[in-house]
Amino acid sequence: MGYVRGLRCRACGAEFPAVQLAVCESCFGPLEVTYELSAVRDSFRREELKDRPRDLWRYRELLPVLDESARVDLAVGFTPLRRAADLGEALDVREIWVKDDTVNPTYSFKDRPVAVAVAKAREWDLPAIGCASTGNLAAATAAAAAKAHLPCYVFAPASLEPAKLLVPRIFGATVVPIEGTYDDANRIALLTADRRGWGFVNINLRPYYAEGSKTLLFETWEQLGFELPDVIVVPLGSGLLLTSLEKGVRELRELGEVADPPRLVGTQAAGCAPIVQGFESPDGRPKPVKKPETVAESLAIGDPGSGFEAIQAMRATRGFADAPNDPDILDGVRLLARAEGLFTEPAGGTTVATLRRAREDGRIDRDERVVLLITGSGLKTPAVWRDAFQSLAPISPNSTAVDAYLEGLHHG
Amino acid sequence: MVRLVLASPIAVATRGEREIEIEFEGTLRGLFDLVTNRYGKPFQQRIFEGDGALKRFVNVYVNGEDARYLRGLDTPIPRDATVDLLPAIAGG
Repeated sequence: MGYVRGLRCRACGAEFPAVQLAVCESCFGPLEVTYELSAVRDSFRREELKDRPRDLWRYRELLPVLDESARVDLAVGFTPLRRAADLGEALDVREIWVKDDTVNPTYSFKDRPVAVAVAKAREWDLPAIGCASTGNLAAATAAAAAKAHLPCYVFAPASLEPAKLLVPRIFGATVVPIEGTYDDANRIALLTADRRGWGFVNINLRPYYAEGSKTLLFETWEQLGFELPDVIVVPLGSGLLLTSLEKGVRELRELGEVADPPRLVGTQAAGCAPIVQGFESPDGRPKPVKKPETVAESLAIGDPGSGFEAIQAMRATRGFADAPNDPDILDGVRLLARAEGLFTEPAGGTTVATLRRAREDGRIDRDERVVLLITGSGLKTPAVWRDAFQSLAPISPNSTAVDAYLEGLHHG
Repeated sequence: MVRLVLASPIAVATRGEREIEIEFEGTLRGLFDLVTNRYGKPFQQRIFEGDGALKRFVNVYVNGEDARYLRGLDTPIPRDATVDLLPAIAGG
C-alpha cells in the first residue's frame, strides 16, 4: 500500500499525479514525490521501525513504490554508521561518524536510487532500463536490471576507468561508450531514452530515483538513536544526493520526528566545481564546466542538473560548499584508510578533505557532531593510485633478501 | 534543412512535435523567432523567461555543443545544423 500523493515541481509548485514524468510540464523544473504525511504518521513509528528488514525498504511509507512485487531485492541499504574516533582525533573533531555506503551490493550508494527507479520501471512495464553514468550508477543499474530480467543500456564516457566500464558488462548490460565527457553521454542518453521509450533511471525516472537516496538520511537518523547530526558532508556530482537528503529532513520535520535541520555541506573536486562556484556567486546558479579534470571521476559532472536546488539547500541550512584539489582529495582517501580501515573512492576523500579544510578555517566547529557520507568503494578506482607508490620488484624467497629489502625500505 | 529536436517533455511547446525541419540559416535567436512564428506565443513562453533569456531548465545544443559554451543566442546556425532542446537534467 502506498502513501504517495503525487508529484510537485520544486521550482513553480505545480502538482501532477504520480505518473512517469521527468520534469514539470509547465516550467520544466525538477519534480519531487509528495506523500500523504498524515497517513504516513500512523505507521512510520520508531518502535515499529526496529523490527523491520535491514534494508532501504524499512522506510517504505516514504518510498514511492506501490506494488511490492515490483521490487528487486539486492539487500540494498542499512549500511553501517561507524564512529570514527581516530579520524576525529586526526582532524580535531569531537564526534565524527562515517556512513559506509561502500558495502552496498555494487559498492556505492547508487544501489539505493536504482532500487526505487527499477521498481517503478517494472510497475510501468517498461521494455528496458538504462542510465548515463560516471561509473557507479552503471554498475548499480546493471545489477538491478539483471535481477529484474530487463535489458540494460549504460551510456558512459569511453574514457572512464576500465573497471567501471567492465563491471556493467559482467552483469549483462550493454555499454555504449561515448566519445566525450559525462555531459555528452548524458545528452545522447536523454535523446535515446526518449526515442525508444526506455526508462533511464537518472533521466526519465528521476523524481522516483531521487527518493532512494534519502534513505541515507533516514538511516543516519535511526542509527544515531533517532537524532540528526549537526553537520552532514555530502559529495556533489549532480547535487541530487544533497537535495534528496534535504527532502528527507523536511519529511522527518513534517512528521514531527526532528526539530532543526543539520547543516548540509557540499563538496566537489576543484577540477570540476560548478556547484561550489555557484554557491559562491550572488545569483546562486551553478557555473558549468566544459572539461572536468579531476581524479574524482564519479563527481565529474560539468552541468549538474540539481545544482541550483543543492545551492539553495546548503544556504537554507547554513551549510557551505567547498572544493579541495586532487592532492588533498587523495590525502583524504589515505587518511580515512589509515585511521579507520575504510577504503573509499576519491569522492569519499573529497568529504574528508573538506572536513579537514573546514576545521582549519573554523567553518566546522570542534564540538559539532559530523557525519561524512562515504558513497563509493576505493576498489573501483585503483588507477588514481598508479603513481602514488613505488613499483614492487620481486624479492628472492630467502631471509637474507627479505632482511635486505626491509632494511632498505621506508616503512608505511 | 535545420533539424530541431525536442525532448518529449519540451515538445509541449510545439504541440507535441518532437522533430521539426526548417529551411533556415542565421543565429539561434533567429531560429527561435521563426519557430515562435510557427507555434505562437506558447512556444516563446515555455522556452524563454520574460527578459528574453532561455529558461534555466532548458538546455540548447547546436550540433551537440551546449550553446552556453558557444555564443548563446548569437550562436551561428548553419543550414544543415541539428539543434536539440532538452530538459536540464544531468547526473545522478
